[in-house]
Amino acid sequence: MTATDGDLLRQVERARQGDPEASRSLVDALYPQVIRIVRSHLPVRAAEEDLAQEIFVKLFSRLDQYQVRSAVPFEHWVSRLAVRTCLDALRAERRRPELRWSDLPEEQSAWLEFMLADPAAPPDTAPASARELLEKLLSQLPPDDRLVISLLDLEEKSVKEIAQLTGWNIPLIKVRAFRARRKLRKLAETFKKENPHERL
Amino acid sequence: MNDFDTKWHACAARARQTLRRDEESPFGFTTRIAARATKPGATPVEFTWDRVLARLLAGAVAVLIVCGAMELPHFRDAQPLKPGIENTVAQLVWSL
Repeated sequence: MTATDGDLLRQVERARQGDPEASRSLVDALYPQVIRIVRSHLPVRAAEEDLAQEIFVKLFSRLDQYQVRSAVPFEHWVSRLAVRTCLDALRAERRRPELRWSDLPEEQSAWLEFMLADPAAPPDTAPASARELLEKLLSQLPPDDRLVISLLDLEEKSVKEIAQLTGWNIPLIKVRAFRARRKLRKLAETFKKENPHERL
Repeated sequence: MNDFDTKWHACAARARQTLRRDEESPFGFTTRIAARATKPGATPVEFTWDRVLARLLAGAVAVLIVCGAMELPHFRDAQPLKPGIENTVAQLVWSL
């Protein structure tokens, strides 16, 4: 265990006893980690600050459930809580936004053309446009599939890490990832057929 | 791995290059969370009172809905509803 982990655990212990200063330090220390997870798995119509707040409220209400002696480091416990809260928020999303080719900016449609048609070289655009397109495509998937692909491809987590974060077993994650990629391909192909301008 | 998957991964690799935005908590966020975290929980009496109050409220709403449903068919009638239970005392009171 590193010194940072030790500091964090001391703050956890003090926060459990109701020390406001320790609670503030804990929020400051964990905010970057929590907000990264929230931004990666944010439902389309949700505000990231609201979801982050929900995670912290849950975290403090369940702080007594964390066992220091368990093999799970505190930061992993927090990540797991954050991922599961985001998954609940994604599941609660009643309608997924409709995606239309005509709504895509030029840079994003160039990426989609690259994925579906012949261009061998990826388009020379800003990384943000690639990210926005991926997020739009992922928003069309069911929550569990979206979570798996985000964790695997955007956050480069291993299957084992995903199993720790979600509580799902490894074969389930692999099957889910395989099916999710197939759904993405079908989605993109459908999208191509619906393109009114037949740019491809 | 098929062509789509290869290109998807190329797109994902480019997407991962996006710059991290400011990751400090927004103004007031930490204080708000810390205040909620250290807020003392409700005492047992308050907790019981809250539960009883909620049930009373639910009961009152249910009675209101039943009354409304019974009254609704007679809403346009010229005469109001007559008492359902009639006995001698009620007859006497009614005739006074």
